Amino acid sequence: MSAAAARAKGRLIAVDGLDAAAVHAAAKAALVSPSRGGISRWDASGVFQDLAVAGAGAGAPSARTLLLLYAADLAFRLRWQIRPALAEGRTVIAAPYVATAVAFGRAAGLPRTWLATLFAFAPQPNGRRFAHPARGANALAARDGFVGFGCERMARVDGPAQGLLIEKTAAYLRGADRLRPRR
Amino acid sequence: MRDSAAVLRREARRHFTDPSRPRGLLVAFEGPDGSGKTTQRKLFKTWLESEGYDVVTTKWNASELIKPIIKSRKTVRALGPEEYSLLHAADFRHRVEQVILPALWGGKLVIADRFLFTGLARDVARGLDLDWVLRLYEPLLWPDLVFYFAVSPVTSGKRVTATRTPNFYEAGQDVTDVDDPVESYQRFVRRVIREYESLALIFNFIRVDAEQTIGEQHRQIRDLFLKGRQRPWSDWNAGAVAEWLAITGGARR
Repeated sequence: MSAAAARAKGRLIAVDGLDAAAVHAAAKAALVSPSRGGISRWDASGVFQDLAVAGAGAGAPSARTLLLLYAADLAFRLRWQIRPALAEGRTVIAAPYVATAVAFGRAAGLPRTWLATLFAFAPQPNGRRFAHPARGANALAARDGFVGFGCERMARVDGPAQGLLIEKTAAYLRGADRLRPRR
Repeated sequence: MRDSAAVLRREARRHFTDPSRPRGLLVAFEGPDGSGKTTQRKLFKTWLESEGYDVVTTKWNASELIKPIIKSRKTVRALGPEEYSLLHAADFRHRVEQVILPALWGGKLVIADRFLFTGLARDVARGLDLDWVLRLYEPLLWPDLVFYFAVSPVTSGKRVTATRTPNFYEAGQDVTDVDDPVESYQRFVRRVIREYESLALIFNFIRVDAEQTIGEQHRQIRDLFLKGRQRPWSDWNAGAVAEWLAITGGARR
């Protein structure tokens, strides 16, 4: 590898979790030098902001539809934020990245293979972090993140079902954290 | 998703093969721009209604939820091939769940002016992998009949550019790097037609020669529909129906 190529090799760190505030705090902590990197957040493309203002007559999206939109947003983030920064040799903290969406999809009953294929375009991160809410605080913590957004808008997911979906997502995220390679 | 997938699959089979109720039929019209699909779809719908069918039409990129999102991003030319593909797959999924499956469950005849094959042909022409794109559309819902309006790139180009200039994405300018939209369209539609021709073979489309007169095509479609409408329900669709039954919580039953 040439010196220029080595210098240009950035690092991608994924920070996943239910709690948007905790994910953001963990992302800031993971960013050692803000001048040499940045944080890429969900909905950088504004897709979910646009979805939030759609009238009730447009129909509630399913988990599958929400995940296709999450993947579209991630493709936007990769094109405009993550890949250009990596090419300049910077560190990018993707918060959240793929694991949050996969956990949500698994909790909603979607096949693991479909989820893996959906996000196959996303590069493997160089490192992974998880930010978990305190036990029993999942529902409150999820409020401002993708999972909370999805649960609120999904077809026929009422209060108790929302709670169950959030708990299941949290369990999948804890499972993914246990499986991640440790240094 | 309270019911198990196997139970819901059985329910789907039972519903769509019950001879005591009218079975919903899904007919897709596919082909490149300028192949005359929309004209034929309108004539076909009028004829079906005169024959007593309860007809529902669904068009590509037309869901109330996702269409505005796609439209605003196309206007500012902000979509890369993956985003373009994923947003259209989201729009399709939402229409399957909100329009197509409810109508089929209710025994109606659904005419789809473009179906998932449009996504496959355009996305692969944009350089994406066919297998990846196809899997975005899972669980797959197969139409009972697919009419493919076969037309040459030259005819497509003449028809599309006769009255207007193709827009940025229609012309494939996001991938051809050609500044002139008409020239870009001519190049891009060749790729799209090549993909359609492959899909027509793989998925056994019913080919309609779209270079014929409007009347000849319409008569051919009527004849082919009358021959094909008795096809048995495809069991491949059980998964798609079962997932829809699960997310609607039995509200349609």
